[in-house]
Amino acid sequence: MASAVPAARRLASDAAGNRGRHLTDAVATVILWLMAVSIILMLIAFIAYLFYLGFGSLSWQFLTGPPSQQAGGGIGPEIYNSFYILVLTLAFTVPISLAAGIYLQEYARPGLFRSVVQFSAESLATVPSIVMGLFGLLIFVFYFHWGFTALGGALTMTLLNLPALMRVTQEALASVPDSLREASVGLGATKWQTVVRTVLPSAIGRLTTGVVLIAGRIFGETAALIFTAGLSVSANHPYELNPFRSAETLAIHLWYTHSESVIPDVDRVGNGSALVLLIMVLAFNIAARVVGAALTKRFTGRSS
Amino acid sequence: MIEASPASVDTREKLSAANVSVYYGSFQAIKNASLKMAAKTVTALIGPSGCGKSTFLRALNRMHDLTPGARVEGAVMLDGQDIYAPDADPVIIRHRIGMVFQRPNPFPKTIFENVAYGPKIHGERDRQRLATIVETSLRQAALWDEVKDRLNRSALDLSGGQQQRMCIARVLAVEPEVILMDEPASALDPIATSKIEDLIGELKQDYTVVIVTHSMQQAARISEYTAFFHLGEIVEIGTTTNIFTRPREKRTEDYITGRFG
Amino acid sequence: MISLQASKSHRNERVAVNVLRAAAGFLILAITLLLLYLAVEGTKTFFVDKFPVWKFLFSSDYDPGNNVGGSAVFIAGTLLVTGFAIGIGGPFGIAVGVFLSEIAPPRMAQILKPAIELLVGIPSVVYGWLGLTLLVPFLRTHTSSPSGFGLAAAGIVLSIMILPTVISLSEDAFRSLPRSLREGSMALGSTRWQMITRVLLPSASSGLTVALILGIARAIGEALAVQMVIGNASQFPNGIFAPTASLTTEIVIDMGGAPQGSFQEHVLFSMAFLLLLIAMVLILIVRFTLRRRA
Repeated sequence: MASAVPAARRLASDAAGNRGRHLTDAVATVILWLMAVSIILMLIAFIAYLFYLGFGSLSWQFLTGPPSQQAGGGIGPEIYNSFYILVLTLAFTVPISLAAGIYLQEYARPGLFRSVVQFSAESLATVPSIVMGLFGLLIFVFYFHWGFTALGGALTMTLLNLPALMRVTQEALASVPDSLREASVGLGATKWQTVVRTVLPSAIGRLTTGVVLIAGRIFGETAALIFTAGLSVSANHPYELNPFRSAETLAIHLWYTHSESVIPDVDRVGNGSALVLLIMVLAFNIAARVVGAALTKRFTGRSS
Repeated sequence: MIEASPASVDTREKLSAANVSVYYGSFQAIKNASLKMAAKTVTALIGPSGCGKSTFLRALNRMHDLTPGARVEGAVMLDGQDIYAPDADPVIIRHRIGMVFQRPNPFPKTIFENVAYGPKIHGERDRQRLATIVETSLRQAALWDEVKDRLNRSALDLSGGQQQRMCIARVLAVEPEVILMDEPASALDPIATSKIEDLIGELKQDYTVVIVTHSMQQAARISEYTAFFHLGEIVEIGTTTNIFTRPREKRTEDYITGRFG
Repeated sequence: MISLQASKSHRNERVAVNVLRAAAGFLILAITLLLLYLAVEGTKTFFVDKFPVWKFLFSSDYDPGNNVGGSAVFIAGTLLVTGFAIGIGGPFGIAVGVFLSEIAPPRMAQILKPAIELLVGIPSVVYGWLGLTLLVPFLRTHTSSPSGFGLAAAGIVLSIMILPTVISLSEDAFRSLPRSLREGSMALGSTRWQMITRVLLPSASSGLTVALILGIARAIGEALAVQMVIGNASQFPNGIFAPTASLTTEIVIDMGGAPQGSFQEHVLFSMAFLLLLIAMVLILIVRFTLRRRA
């Protein structure tokens, strides 16, 4: 032993060295708390500020009226287009990612195909949205000669969101315990029947939460749509169902009014648009949780 | 609960628990346990699994502070001072009362860094002194010869038995007065186990050791005193010899003779 | 009768599996086509217009109207803005990740985590708008920046945008560390902060690296929020408050006016292809890091 154990050693921490490291510990803890609180405050500040700026712009006329080069324009068609593209995108994205996710999670055995698919999804996920938008420009606007179309925008957005929705699907399926699958197969069901009748209903809550959250992201997307869905709405038919037409969304309108156009009341329109976007995103966020929880309860009888 | 004071042994108390109760939320895991542990002896805590031996052990160095929802009542005296006093510093307490865990838990660092970790956090900076402390501790843990040429390699490369001895060296490096061991050999093979038991025999010359073990044979081999736990209570305390040959409580006797596990 | 039923459901099964497999295969097709088309269009600058690659990367002579496409300014802008963002957002994010994993009481976590999720949900164009209306005027009045637009504004906005990514990945990295590591350190008499800095941070290093790299990837690809506050001046910034441009912002600004088949369009696609390559490299680094840890 290097030294004999000292005789009387007190238990309280007034030795200089100890005080130093307790002080460091306390100071560090306080700093981390401040950082965490600052994030919450930042969020509150953002939301409050956007409400403060934009609340005055909100009116029925603003929300439903057409945009205009002069003062007094509204964002009606843009809101319509945002939903239109959202629905169209989901119409493509949900089936494909659901199918691919089910395949990877329930069927695929480890091997080359599975790894390549997984890698493709990961790679697709890292493509920056502006680059994806340019790919859409290349294919739909140039090569297909469609020009700017809502459909082109939706297809581009599909590619952008496939990996995310796939991951949501896989995680939702993984959360279903194997005992359910075993019970179903033990009763003589095929794998497909098991998936459709047992696994999917169990996972529906988490799936829906994921889909609604991604819907929120789609609603606010800009970079992938600027060069595919375009920057304008048709003056004569602002609310139409034809997907082969230029379709400026609310998010793009916000960017466009600020950067390129020269309308006199750009602040009013911009603040109002920003606030509407924020409200929609908050709504999607809350809806995702609420609907997801309700569905889980309905289909499984449990709360989670 | 019976307390037997052994005849010709030095009863200088190093560590003593007085009416210790441990609660997890509203569940009481340890009920009013009192135990005196004499200096430079080995006290074994035995009993069936789940009876609270480890929970009691962890109350002796305030490890329950780390578990949210855990509450300790009663007092634990180290050299006459209560470690649960409001102004007592857990950091110093754990310096003086060290712990070896059931599974070896080396840090993902080199062997040297692992053993030097304790002295460093307590303020030792001099490289020479650290090197000396590391060598001394590894020698005490009977590991020096096996690792002296690879101190700068990762501790994770060692075998299970070697890792556990390194963890013991790590504790020795902070020069504690008491060493708590929570089933230190249960994850090891018989050869490694016997090395650890030999080590404990050496250690008790300088340290007070309290060891939780599920093996009665091990308790009989290495300890002077034994406390038998059952359902969160200390049922009987005595010299190891007495506990195993002349138990006073029926429950003790039932456990010793294998009537329940 | 029973055997007929059985074969029908087996046929369903086979059809279903093939459909699913096709959907999975579609992903492979998508990424392949994307890489291919962007590679072809992105290299037209070099093969069709015969503009040298090294000039594209290192020359700052940018005049696409006259077939000159030196994009060094934009590459530098991307690097600088990203560096700024990760310089602030990286340590901040890891710190909050530590907080969530080691320090936060459950009720605080219940408030903080939804707050972070909301921050993620805010669209980038709204961040740009906040930058425009809140940050830029602030910088204009309180710093040496003449207009408020510039590198600093973009860097700050971007650092806030990548915070959630870095925070949640850092938190995961810490949570995945075994409890025995913490117990080992505390049992030797360390303070919590000593445990965090001396044991947990080094042990989580590969997970934290992944968090930082993915934060960088997020920052590099961001276009609109950055474009709204960076000033869009095709020059090297001569200070952190000077206006400049980056690869993504240049694409946003000029692609609309670039005729198909023109040199300008080719150069912009080359920039996009460069961004794609950088993103791919980053994800390969992440995979490599994760594989080494396992």
